[in-house]
Amino acid sequence: MTGSDALLATTDYRPGRSRRHGSSETVRWLRRSLWPCVLVAGVATVAMTVLDSSLEAVDASLILGVLVGLAFAGSGLYAWGRRPENRLGVLMTVVGFTYLVWHILIQAHSSSVYTGGIWLSDSWTVVFVLFLLSFPEGRLNTRFDLVILAMFATVALPLELLWLLFFRTGGSPENALAAWPNSSVADDVDSAQRALLVTASVVLAATLWRRRMVASPPLRRALIPALVGSAAILLSLVLLGLDKFDVEFETARWVVLGAYLTIPLVVLAGILRARLARSTVGELFVELRADPSLPDLRDALARALRDPSLTLAYWLPQFRSWADVNGESVELPGDGSGHATTLIDRHGEHLAALLHDPALLDEPELLNAVAAAAGIALENGRLHVELRARLEELRGSRSRVFDAGQRERKRLERNLHDGAQQRLIALSLELGLLEEQVDMHSDMGARLSQARSEIANSLEELREVAHGIHPAVVSGHGLEIALEQLAARAPVPIRLLVDVGGRLPELLEVAVYYLVAESLANVGKYAQASFVSVEVNRRGNRIVVEVADDGIGGADTERGSGLRGLADRIEALEGRLRIWSPNGGGTRLRAEIPCES
Amino acid sequence: MRVVIAEDSVLLREGISRILDGAGFDVVGLCDTGEDLLQKTASYSPDVAIVDIRLPPTHNDEGLQAALEIRARHPSVSVLVLSQYVEVGLAMKLLSDSAEGAGYLLKDRISDVKEFIAAVQRVANGGSAIDPIIVSTLLSKRRSDDPMAVLTPREREVLVLMAQGRSNQGIADSLVITLRAVERYVSIIFGKLGLPATSNDSRRVLAVLLYLNS
Repeated sequence: MTGSDALLATTDYRPGRSRRHGSSETVRWLRRSLWPCVLVAGVATVAMTVLDSSLEAVDASLILGVLVGLAFAGSGLYAWGRRPENRLGVLMTVVGFTYLVWHILIQAHSSSVYTGGIWLSDSWTVVFVLFLLSFPEGRLNTRFDLVILAMFATVALPLELLWLLFFRTGGSPENALAAWPNSSVADDVDSAQRALLVTASVVLAATLWRRRMVASPPLRRALIPALVGSAAILLSLVLLGLDKFDVEFETARWVVLGAYLTIPLVVLAGILRARLARSTVGELFVELRADPSLPDLRDALARALRDPSLTLAYWLPQFRSWADVNGESVELPGDGSGHATTLIDRHGEHLAALLHDPALLDEPELLNAVAAAAGIALENGRLHVELRARLEELRGSRSRVFDAGQRERKRLERNLHDGAQQRLIALSLELGLLEEQVDMHSDMGARLSQARSEIANSLEELREVAHGIHPAVVSGHGLEIALEQLAARAPVPIRLLVDVGGRLPELLEVAVYYLVAESLANVGKYAQASFVSVEVNRRGNRIVVEVADDGIGGADTERGSGLRGLADRIEALEGRLRIWSPNGGGTRLRAEIPCES
Repeated sequence: MRVVIAEDSVLLREGISRILDGAGFDVVGLCDTGEDLLQKTASYSPDVAIVDIRLPPTHNDEGLQAALEIRARHPSVSVLVLSQYVEVGLAMKLLSDSAEGAGYLLKDRISDVKEFIAAVQRVANGGSAIDPIIVSTLLSKRRSDDPMAVLTPREREVLVLMAQGRSNQGIADSLVITLRAVERYVSIIFGKLGLPATSNDSRRVLAVLLYLNS
């Protein structure tokens, strides 16, 4: 597979506005008029053999040969009609017709027509190889394909002409081009042709085999006809080699013809299967009527497209980006990713993108039908995804706001601590030293003492303000030590258990600290409890905080801003806060906050 | 008495140094980081190290860590920790296995020069100095069966001073009662609270604090 497989196909899900390239009228007319030609050519081949000799001379291998030609031309025309944009149909038609025509030509009595038939029979190989190499997209994949094709063409065109110039059949009809009959030169040219053919065939088989090895499973299946074809060429070459030693292998000839016949049949089956698959679109309609959830929608589409690797991306116009089902931004895979992208548009704007196996590009009608069927569901899906993306954005900005707030509070506390508080302490110390030098019972001593106690009061107030702004002990010494102070000041007897296995992220520690502080304050104010238990534990990758009292319960969770603020703080950390407070049944508060270990 | 001081605020560091100098202490080292403190403690072998709990670079717990390290590595060096905020948890961590030669005071206490010098002297001599706020916090701790109720107001006063690390003489001076009276109160308190009697001041500080914090 090459990167160019991941091409962007644009599909509009509204029926009747298919933007697929339609075939022009002329081409359609040509295609239709070729159908009778196929039949005429088939009948003509058999008829000419019958007319030429007796009925007994019509051997089964000839009938099979005609069948091969008919099968190629017929399924080629059918494929051409089904998928005009894929050149494979045209190629198959050419392969089939060439095959039939050279069979007719070599029946001729005229030596020029006969010679043309011989030349055409070799040229047929070139068209056939081109068909094999173009499998299944209908175009050559690499430059190397051209090299292989050139090798076959060299054998079939210049070398064949050279050979015909020297070769005599020695019977009737004679080779019309035998200008300088010379059997030894003809033999040499023939050997060169065979050597080049063998080389080219081996390279062809190896190339196709390698292509199959690196292909995705659906493509691997699609490549089977190409492999059968290259195997048939190899086998027929072996037969050609043995022919030189006058060894006949009737069975092997049958196998080669059988293999040739298989190819158009497999291709035909593939196209019919794809048509059949469109009936799954009907099932898709039924599934979508049940308004599936986002993952179910993807699964339904994957089933309808028979591509388990299918992923969906939604276009979010407000964010100018693609998003997955979780609302998280994604990039559409580019060339070389091994995935093809089909865009589904609505009102000239992107709606969603199907990221699917490139082999599906071969079934544009199926993609179109599925896209059309899923249109409304995809719109709903997009709304969901958009909502999620907004939620995600909101969550992100809330946690950034909290984060910034936290940093600012910490900075303020640090400023108070390093600035005003230290200066006041130093001032108070200075006054203390002065006190030492004056008589404590003098007026001056009393005023100094008064001033020092004013400073002590200011310091006390400042301390409380600073602590309210940010509990420095939490960031400084951890949750356990900080909570011990709260426990020591608890309004009722308390049991405190802290087991979180070391330090936690600062934002989380501060949130837990405030949660416990506020809860204990509420216990003191409203609960009329005789006991409170505080537990902070780590459970897996969550921190669980539980505060339970044996008070009167009936706490109003909306009361004041205290609990609301706590809930905000916990939710900003993606956590959950729940409160049970039945009347007369105590109050239990439980917070769970995710914490990566 | 040899002292090293670790305090990153210059005003305060110089202030403390002046007070101690004036009181006859020999200030052998002034430092502003925990690392500096550990080095100077190792080289000057002071009797006491006075340490601010918040030191650069992060101002988190560098000071406390340095103090704990001195207690572990240089048992002969006493440590007096100063802090802006007084936290029971921190005090208990500092005193985790012994209150001997250990102190934990609010920075404000420095301005009460006499008290501060007495506290430094006590700690330097292997005693203890625990901030009254720690003791009062622990005393105010609510418990289901409050044993404090069995103490008389006078006995409580003695308990508070005892928990701060005062000696019997210090308690007697503070309450203006006789030494014998203090000794009697102490033995009554220990009896009532069911604590094993000890004559060592620091050991009884720890015993009382642990009892109050239980």
